[in-house]
Amino acid sequence: MSRRKKVEDAITAINQGPKVLKLYMEMCARCGTCASQCPVYYAKPEKDINPVIRSDLIRAIYKKLSTTSGKLMGELVGARDFSEDDFEKWAEDFYECTGCRRCATYCPFGIDNSVITRKGRAILHELGLTPAVMQRVVDISLETGNTDGASPKAFMAAIEFLEEEMKEEHGIDIKIPVDVEGATYFYVPPSGDVLVNPEATTGIAKVFHVLGMADQWTMSSKCFDGANYGLFTGDDASMKADNKLYVDEAKRLGAKVMLMGECGHAYRIMKMMMEPAKWWGDLPFEITNCLQWTAIHIKAGRLQFDKTMNPMPVTYHDPCNFGRSCGIVDEPRIILEASCLDFREMYPNRGDNWCCGGGGGLSAMDTILDFRMEITGKKKMEQIRATGAKYVAAACSNCKRQLIQLMEYHNEDIVVGGVHDMLSRAILINGKAAQRIDYESGVAVESESG
Amino acid sequence: MSTFAFIVGGILPGIAVVIFIVGMVYRLSVWLKIPQPGRMTLFPASEGTTKAVVAEALFFPSLFRGDRVLWTFAWVFHATLALVALGHIRVITGFVDRVLMAMGMSAEGIATMSGTVGGIAGVILFATGTLLLIRRLTMQRVREISGLPDFFALLLLIAIIFTGDMMRFGAHFELEQTRIWARSLVTFSPQIPQHGMFLTHALLALLLIMYIPFSKILHFGGIFFTQSLIKRR
Repeated sequence: MSRRKKVEDAITAINQGPKVLKLYMEMCARCGTCASQCPVYYAKPEKDINPVIRSDLIRAIYKKLSTTSGKLMGELVGARDFSEDDFEKWAEDFYECTGCRRCATYCPFGIDNSVITRKGRAILHELGLTPAVMQRVVDISLETGNTDGASPKAFMAAIEFLEEEMKEEHGIDIKIPVDVEGATYFYVPPSGDVLVNPEATTGIAKVFHVLGMADQWTMSSKCFDGANYGLFTGDDASMKADNKLYVDEAKRLGAKVMLMGECGHAYRIMKMMMEPAKWWGDLPFEITNCLQWTAIHIKAGRLQFDKTMNPMPVTYHDPCNFGRSCGIVDEPRIILEASCLDFREMYPNRGDNWCCGGGGGLSAMDTILDFRMEITGKKKMEQIRATGAKYVAAACSNCKRQLIQLMEYHNEDIVVGGVHDMLSRAILINGKAAQRIDYESGVAVESESG
Repeated sequence: MSTFAFIVGGILPGIAVVIFIVGMVYRLSVWLKIPQPGRMTLFPASEGTTKAVVAEALFFPSLFRGDRVLWTFAWVFHATLALVALGHIRVITGFVDRVLMAMGMSAEGIATMSGTVGGIAGVILFATGTLLLIRRLTMQRVREISGLPDFFALLLLIAIIFTGDMMRFGAHFELEQTRIWARSLVTFSPQIPQHGMFLTHALLALLLIMYIPFSKILHFGGIFFTQSLIKRR
């Protein structure tokens, strides 16, 4: 089959659904509101960046193939044929949208351009035109179960290291159970929260410890990364295959609760896509996330904190997938307000928050680093500066990577980390907070000496 | 009776109504049938999905938060359009008159109100329609996404508004003739007003009615579908 035929078939298939896509092909009133709320267009107000123009890459062909006016009047009504020359433009343009869905929040009809972006990427994938760096993440994850390609052995070493750290911090053994069958909670973080930015995971371990539930949870040495880049490449088959590894592992362990870590898109795939669409039928476990779970215990007064451990101004960046797409907005604030002395809001926030600039998998693409630092992340940088915060918490490994690079690129002395990281430093165990913190991103080290 | 008047006033209304109804039923039924796996909810999402969707259709709160200037033009334009549509239903059916009379208004009172409210509404529509057109022509982010269908829809509406206004402010037209005409159509014995401005207005309006199911103006039906998907709790 010719490449052009493949594209046309994929676009014609929109007539069979999903409903959102079909509606978005036919509904836009072209009022320009999306562009005024798009983080990318904000920094680069050029025609090719306009969300409507990007969506038109597919819409125009859809019109030509599936509408009478498009067939009869062609370019006069914005309909046109696909041409082989378009591939290059598609590959570039569809990876310039961060999929943050902010446009949909302000569009009078709620048109979500990220759905069209994902369709464009899906077609690129079908033709083998996914950017190599993105495809590699998907392949590695399918091969090893995690996006870092870490072996179970490397994972166990990391867990051992974290247990030693906690022993030094608190003088007692705080366990991170692994591969325990029959444990109630199966904790699924992003791999970054074990290997790169591990304080979030020690935070979770401490919460379980304080609650006396240390024997009721487990991690998996094979499935310790909820990240699933099939969402970003538009590759449904890979997304589902990756997802199935985790659902199967939860079933094998006999868990009652799949406790998702600080990873927005992982939680969104589980909670908003896999579960309601019943990819794997009815599940023998429920799905929640660590922010909700910890917040419940804080509200119930079961956890105590020494806020002076986190004296610096702290702000929270709402990851688009957690905030706008899953409504997890109050919980991280409950955790940060309980564990930090000076929590500050960033404006706008919650469902209105601006994307970090690394959404839609872009944060993994160092091939477009300058674009991410100068364009997609511009608004975020301004927002963070305005808070005066010295620590930005983001419950998302993709946001964290983008934000860390953003701070380095713009020479800002602002630390980026997770939400449970702050909890880990301030939570009281036997009446005492952690005694020693020397992680690389250790703002607390400064505050101890200063 | 001229051929033009007979086509516009006698034949086209029937064709337009059939095309409109068949077109709308077709488009909406297709949208209803297509499956939607997974949830597209955008947060914050309130508990009452229907209430939120109706609020979007009536007051455009998302647009209000997104672009205050456009909201002002668009809301006033749409709300006035709805009022004028109601006014046309009054003129054509007389049903609204009966309701108003039951509420104690006299026939003269209704006529005066219709003249005043209709006149003001006509001016507002023309002004906001023109502002929307100017916005489309001058604002970069809107101009770069505007194509022939966008200008056609807007210009057609403005032309309908203009000819409607002209019947009130220029070439005077007795409203009662419209009611007679509408009734005559139902009984298939057309009595068509021989009035140039009226016929032009009717022609453009009938073109619009036929165009709606196949154009972006269908957004007044689609909004319930798209907003339901993202407001679904």
